[in-house]
Amino acid sequence: MDNKKFEKLLLSVQKPGRYSAGETGSVIKDKEKVDVRFAFCFPDTYEIGMSHLGMKILYSQFNSREDIWCERVFAPWTDFEQVMRENEIPLFGLESRDPIKDFDFIGFTIQYEMAYTNILNMLDLAGVPVKSKDRKDLSPLVVAGGPCVCNPEPLADFIDIFFIGEGEEVDLEVIDLYKEYKAKNATKEEFLLAASKIEGVYVPSLYEDKYDDGGVLKELVPMDGVAPTIKKRIIKNLDTCYYPENFVVPFIEIVHDRAVQEIFRGCIRGCRFCQAGFIYRPVREKSVETVNRQAKCLCENTGYDEISLSSLSTSDYTGIEPLLNEMLEWSDKRHVSLSLPSLRIDNFSDELLEKIKHVRKSGLTFAPEAGTQRLRDVINKNVTEEEILDTCLTAFRGGYTSVKLYFMLGLPTETDEDLKGIADLGQKIVNLFYNMPDKPKGKSVSVSISVSTFVPKPFTPFQFEPQISLEEIRRRQEYLKSCITTKKISLSYHDSATSFLEGAFARGDRRMGKVIEAAYKKGCKFDSWTECFQPEKWHEAFKECGLSPEFYANRLREYDEVNPWDHLDYAVSKEFLIRENKQAHCNLTTPNCREKCANCGAMCYGEGVCFEKR
Amino acid sequence: LRNVRIFYKKLRSMKFVSHLDMNRFMSRLISKSGIPIWYTEGFNQHIYMNFAVPLSLGFEGLYEIMDIRLIDENYSLEDCLNALKSACPPDIEFFGITEGEMHMKTIGFAEFEITFEEFGTDTVSALKEFLTRDSIICQKTGKKGKVKEIDLIPKIKSFDIEDDLLKIVLVAGSEDNLNPSLVMSEFFAQCGIEPIYYTVRRTMIYNKEMQQFK
Repeated sequence: MDNKKFEKLLLSVQKPGRYSAGETGSVIKDKEKVDVRFAFCFPDTYEIGMSHLGMKILYSQFNSREDIWCERVFAPWTDFEQVMRENEIPLFGLESRDPIKDFDFIGFTIQYEMAYTNILNMLDLAGVPVKSKDRKDLSPLVVAGGPCVCNPEPLADFIDIFFIGEGEEVDLEVIDLYKEYKAKNATKEEFLLAASKIEGVYVPSLYEDKYDDGGVLKELVPMDGVAPTIKKRIIKNLDTCYYPENFVVPFIEIVHDRAVQEIFRGCIRGCRFCQAGFIYRPVREKSVETVNRQAKCLCENTGYDEISLSSLSTSDYTGIEPLLNEMLEWSDKRHVSLSLPSLRIDNFSDELLEKIKHVRKSGLTFAPEAGTQRLRDVINKNVTEEEILDTCLTAFRGGYTSVKLYFMLGLPTETDEDLKGIADLGQKIVNLFYNMPDKPKGKSVSVSISVSTFVPKPFTPFQFEPQISLEEIRRRQEYLKSCITTKKISLSYHDSATSFLEGAFARGDRRMGKVIEAAYKKGCKFDSWTECFQPEKWHEAFKECGLSPEFYANRLREYDEVNPWDHLDYAVSKEFLIRENKQAHCNLTTPNCREKCANCGAMCYGEGVCFEKR
Repeated sequence: LRNVRIFYKKLRSMKFVSHLDMNRFMSRLISKSGIPIWYTEGFNQHIYMNFAVPLSLGFEGLYEIMDIRLIDENYSLEDCLNALKSACPPDIEFFGITEGEMHMKTIGFAEFEITFEEFGTDTVSALKEFLTRDSIICQKTGKKGKVKEIDLIPKIKSFDIEDDLLKIVLVAGSEDNLNPSLVMSEFFAQCGIEPIYYTVRRTMIYNKEMQQFK
């Protein structure tokens, strides 16, 4: 593309830094000297996509191979999309500004359901047919991975290959196979069939969906010679697994503008609403030595003055104290501050608090998720009210005056009493502060309560549960609001229409593809952005396709119903999920992985927490 | 402590990096370079950096200036420059380092090169006429939203037009400053000319006596 013209266009849009690239750490290669060009697409804005750790890992790993050039692509904001369309600029890789339609792979990482229309829009902007069957040539191949891919069916019409599980190994295996097939001028069909033999690769076009009279999925029939189930891939040893030594450091401010160091994958807890807690099993830790070395290296190479330890539950890391001691050795000298997200209430110690305080004091955030003990037992959030209050007291004594609490609304078995419990807990925390004999003079407390709407997700014990209706969500939100009587508590909640649609996508089947395409054609995009979200257009799209979102979101699914994701094996067995669901309805909790094995099935990999010595 | 003045060029893709983003960018770059940098003391400790006259978004700069402080007085300026160069992306070029001969307050003028796309002879003569008027009165909205009337002519030190290139020297600095975009937008508006796309580079910074700022 003509550079001058490009720059001229950039100056006409908001935040040109989203598209101008040239950041430190970005990789430029000679396109004549690589065999495979990979467009790594994140279907949301630059600021959000650049904050995503998975993309950073795979970008660096792919580019560490001489024969691959991986470039970044984000969804252009509406102003730049208009400029692109008016000037006939096809979607390009940020590094080379070459059109991605000429690349070998167009790969999406799919982090949330509300990004689905952006995938279609990006393919269209690239000048590539959105449907898999309309792309006849071997390349570009449209591939996808990420947590949403655990129910890939709504996207089955658009994506050629889904990567099931962790990507570091399987992605490269597919790229290598592609090189081989490209060299022998194979057809797309030949390649897809061969790729489907690789563990962790799901080629949706090799399966046919069949429904019963009630519109419920009956069977997903594989073609001859194609495996009926696909097992997710995991990285067995995180100490020897690739981890980037450098990040692309953006010029413009992004959402998480800091170095990120992964400390473990998976979660021992098994909170029953949490998809991540199940699909990333088993828990595998990096050693303290590895984490410390990689973190130091990242800070030195990026120049970031903040590093965040990343995992689903930081305080569950077995080596957290020795790790912090080792990191503080160098981080202080370098003026690097440590941040520890995802701390749990029940093991948040004074020592830990002391260490965080050492570096930066910001607000404290906790997630009790439910307002009463009964409901916390139902969701297997093994924290007690006493622990929550103790933690807040520790925090207040440590000088904190604001606490943020996360809750969910619409959890299975929830009653108005549970909602009132949220307000009551908030009030107790406020009282706790004022009853402290040594409370800081002249300071006020602020408790922010953020309430999201529960969305049943595949591969969780609540995958069978109906989501409460749109009207009921709104009623409960109003009720909760009426329970809060003090100004010390601020309440915020998620948009109900978004949660409802998310609920329909999360457990949608292959027919949902038509709805997504119809909505996208009506102009739906950036559905997770309130300023762009158009629920009425989605409503029309469902109607035109003869489907109802309620069928997917609000229906109770029997244990023996075939789910659209049942052919994927995420190592947690359906029997286990059913057992857990029954436990939930009896208000019974399940011990975490370190206390007692719940026999979920993840032991099959022969690694991780299942084999820790205790 | 040792005061150090760094000279650099801000080119190509870097022109889309705003002044605020430059601050963050430079602080990371310095931290990466490993030079013995001085941090401010106090509640929010950060690398001490002082930039001479901020550059507008979309402009290239060939003579950009940043002051920093080193804690190691024996650290050589040459090592410092090399360390910065090695930590630097291609669109920033460090080219000079001094101990800062002149005070930032003495900055008085900046020279810009404005390149036009499709620059007709009519436009050239109109521009010449415009810039040689006795006064160019225009409205300027201040930071607090107050609109005031100013005359641009006393703020234009000199200019020269060659082919499609306008070289212009304007007042610059913390006390008085004129952005070339304002001159251009007034030109188009007051002469009734459909705006022509142009690119801007700041090529030099001078002190109040029109000596190269060092």
